[in-house]
Amino acid sequence: MTPNTSMRFYCDESRCIDCHGCEVACKEAHHLPVGVNRRRVITLNEGVIGQESYLSIACQHCSDAPCEQVCPVDCFYIRADGIVLHDKDKCIGCGYCLYACPFGAPQFPRQGVFGSKGAMDKCTYCAGGPEDTHSEKEYQLYGQNRIAEGKVPACAAMCSTKALLAGDATSVSKIITERVLRRGSGRGASESAMWNAAYK
Amino acid sequence: MKKIVILSLVFGLAMVGAFAADSQIWGEMRIPNILSYGQEQSLKLGALFTMLQNHYFGKIFLAILVLVPLVFFVHYKVIGPKVFSHEGKKVYAFDMFNRVVHQIAAISFIVIVPTGFVIVFGDFFGGGTFVRLCKNLHGIFTIPFAIVVIPMFVMWVKDMFLHWDDIKWLMIVGGYLSKVKNPVPAGKFNAGQKTWYWLATLGGVLMIVTGAMMYFLDFKIEMLNNITGLSQIDLLRVSAILHNVVGFAVVALFFVHIYMSIFAIKGAIHSILTGYKEEEEVKILHSSWYRKLKEQGKV
Repeated sequence: MTPNTSMRFYCDESRCIDCHGCEVACKEAHHLPVGVNRRRVITLNEGVIGQESYLSIACQHCSDAPCEQVCPVDCFYIRADGIVLHDKDKCIGCGYCLYACPFGAPQFPRQGVFGSKGAMDKCTYCAGGPEDTHSEKEYQLYGQNRIAEGKVPACAAMCSTKALLAGDATSVSKIITERVLRRGSGRGASESAMWNAAYK
Repeated sequence: MKKIVILSLVFGLAMVGAFAADSQIWGEMRIPNILSYGQEQSLKLGALFTMLQNHYFGKIFLAILVLVPLVFFVHYKVIGPKVFSHEGKKVYAFDMFNRVVHQIAAISFIVIVPTGFVIVFGDFFGGGTFVRLCKNLHGIFTIPFAIVVIPMFVMWVKDMFLHWDDIKWLMIVGGYLSKVKNPVPAGKFNAGQKTWYWLATLGGVLMIVTGAMMYFLDFKIEMLNNITGLSQIDLLRVSAILHNVVGFAVVALFFVHIYMSIFAIKGAIHSILTGYKEEEEVKILHSSWYRKLKEQGKV
């Protein structure tokens, strides 16, 4: 599998209107517990006139996934299509993946009386987990498996301005390039800091 | 004691509650956290931690786990242990308070060190319930150590400062490379014990602090961010790196401590159990202290 056919997220800064719809779509689709938001919209240069912009970020499913490199129990696996998933039954909640992640994606719902970190939770690209596809356990632990149904992730599917794109690298880059050409301004996918941090 | 435990539990839970409301990692602070990853002016700690954890930490721990006992095995076979009579007179070295404090720390270490190794080699154990249990024990057994580390520091500190004897001791590696029982220059504690003392107390506090930061993860101590100039997640990265690096030294010297007390000086461990050291052992291995005791007429 070449890197060009691996699955990627891209948020078009010039289109994102800070509606937080992707956050809600994700939280609703997967019935996430209180305090866990797999996707978040952040505001860059807040309050600076003319420079404010919004970005929707989650796990970016990096091609060199640092989380996978540091995990002491090796609970991560990267699918042939580049989607980075992890096994919650193996995860010990040590937090190393969070320290390695450039995007602050891994989250740790607290568990038990001592409030220790439970198994890590992050965006699955709506591709479930290592359990049987569409099993009850997969749904409970990882949420919906829309990829297995041939659908794009819930966040990108609902994005009203189509700022958030999900798809293989070639298709996403192509759409961004077309948009930049049509607008006559802006940056291509490969010039975005986020894209480079995740997929360079 | 019970009060302290309950208080710390309540305090811990209260903090957990507070964290959820005002996240330092996934809330407003997420932007500085993300920017601290790869920006030019940042320390690039995320990439550094990833590189170290991916390529070095596990290997170094494995090397310590294999090589230190191997060196001791060879030492035991080639030079052999120092055997002193346990039938002769004894010197009272450790009072009840010393022993209780030491034993609490000892029990903590006996749990913390192996569980730490299980976490480092978590992939070998396949992750899941067992490794998670070890991770929790690693944290829980830090509490007794945290309670005794300061008393331990205070009760022995006056004997632990650098002395001329220590330089001489280091030059002959404490006499452990020879089979002959020549008097070794050392006070109540030799240079090796002093090194272990400073590492276990000061290093121990550093391990507790960095470990607690990784355990609580999403806490807010603005002073820490202001003094260090680091974002929350960079603080955690520094903690993880320090916890591993200081861990190398603690683990290595912990092995030395056990080898010395049980094998290298046959039965020396009895002194911390009963409080009495063998007079012959003191005469040879702590010759300066022995001379002092003699002057005071204590032996």
